[in-house]
Amino acid sequence: MTLATQQRAIWLARNALPHEPALRAWLSRRPLAGLEVDDIVQETYAILAALPSVDHILNGRTYMFEVAKSVVLRSLRRSRIVAFEALAEAEALEPPSDAPSPETVAADRQELSRIAALIAGLPAKCREAFTLRKVHDLSQREVARRMGVSENTVEKHVGKGIGVLMNALGRGGNARFQASRNRTDRDPDQDQSEVDHDPREQRRH
Amino acid sequence: MKLTTIRESSADIDAAAAAWAGRVDRGPLSDQDQAALEAWAAQDPRRAGAYAKALAVSARLDRAAGLGADFAPASHPAAKAADRRRLLATGGLLAAASVVGAVGYGALSLKGRVTTAKGDIRRAPLQDGSAVTLNTDTAIRAAFDGKMRRVDLLRGEALFDVAKDPARPFVVVAGDVRVRAVGTSFTVRTHADGQVGVIVREGVVEVWRGAEGKPVRLAAEHAVQVATAGALTPTPVGSAAVDRAMAWRQGQIDLDGLTLGQAADEFARYSDRRIVIDDPSVARLKMTGLFSASDPDGFAKAAALSLGLQATTQADGVRLTRG
Repeated sequence: MTLATQQRAIWLARNALPHEPALRAWLSRRPLAGLEVDDIVQETYAILAALPSVDHILNGRTYMFEVAKSVVLRSLRRSRIVAFEALAEAEALEPPSDAPSPETVAADRQELSRIAALIAGLPAKCREAFTLRKVHDLSQREVARRMGVSENTVEKHVGKGIGVLMNALGRGGNARFQASRNRTDRDPDQDQSEVDHDPREQRRH
Repeated sequence: MKLTTIRESSADIDAAAAAWAGRVDRGPLSDQDQAALEAWAAQDPRRAGAYAKALAVSARLDRAAGLGADFAPASHPAAKAADRRRLLATGGLLAAASVVGAVGYGALSLKGRVTTAKGDIRRAPLQDGSAVTLNTDTAIRAAFDGKMRRVDLLRGEALFDVAKDPARPFVVVAGDVRVRAVGTSFTVRTHADGQVGVIVREGVVEVWRGAEGKPVRLAAEHAVQVATAGALTPTPVGSAAVDRAMAWRQGQIDLDGLTLGQAADEFARYSDRRIVIDDPSVARLKMTGLFSASDPDGFAKAAALSLGLQATTQADGVRLTRG
């Protein structure tokens, strides 16, 4: 397997990562004959990472769905025990249309506040290291110096933070911090301190 | 897929990949590390994929710099909620977790009402990890406690993606009708005539009427229409029909076998621009297709074209007549 380069990682961040929740939702509604969605998603990324070039890909979402479909078909064909119907059904899979749903558009708009909440949810030391590295853009060495800990510790904190965000950004279906685009009515007796309404939220009035 | 002795879980692979991304984030890898990384990734394509995603997530975080130097994550509401959860967990007091408040930052307080105006769609995250997508002109109210997650559907239609929590069933109350789930995905729609429709996309839910009613189990790709009286009879619907019934999530209306009269009622849910049909024989004509919910005029024109009718635009809508 060819390892992803930094350049390919940036491409994936823009063209694959935002579509992973939709891909998972799509896969989870299909008969996959015992395959795990997680496995299919990981193999899909592996194929996207190993492509010699991505210049020809006009629509990352469609391409990602097609790659995932090929992973499913390949696995089904390889397993001899799979029912013929499952294979036929999988071959008939039509990736959904390209039109972004209001949900995905809104989710993109508020991704930053989602990232903020995810960082805030990390354990205290990890949160501090991750914020200094990714929000303040200090090097890991500089973060270690400021926090008075070893560079190895900072590396572990950053890795942990990436792990948490990997999990959260891929699974939009149950993600907590997606956007909305219209008003929230509240009961008058509601404790305002429990509502942290994002003032950047766009309103339609 | 390979049948090795013990299959590494996807979660373990992700964690290992994230650790590698943390090392790469530190600076260029030593030759030794680079070789170790390559050897690790070569053993399973899933590892190479997870590593690619971990790097992508790390790259995506270039956006986090946009939070600015003022960003104070420790005083963020999500931090408080997470710290409280950890505190409870370490104290062995997880059973008391019902005191946990809102997750914050755009997440909805569960005491609050959430509504959509006509023509709007909104996805609302809930603190337990579930999410509700509200269709046009819909109102819900959520009340969660340690024993139950209750959402009242006050009007309209909503899709519920329910996070698994066997200890706390998720119950939707729509008038007299109750729908209970543990972890699943389903829609509930209240109709003007008092009927309530339930469609299950994934998992299993139980539906009953009144406080004491006998629950009927509804499996994935099944629907039930609950009238004010009479038996509850689940009917199977295909996955294509389920997708059609949820076309509103994309801002679309799917008219599969509906008459123009029914289509006009459907569009009226989304827009104040009315489709007016005076002639009953026109109202009975059928039209099939996927249409933008926010464009009744476009629909009327398409219907006129394909059925040989006349569409006349008026101030408050569009009138369909025989040409």
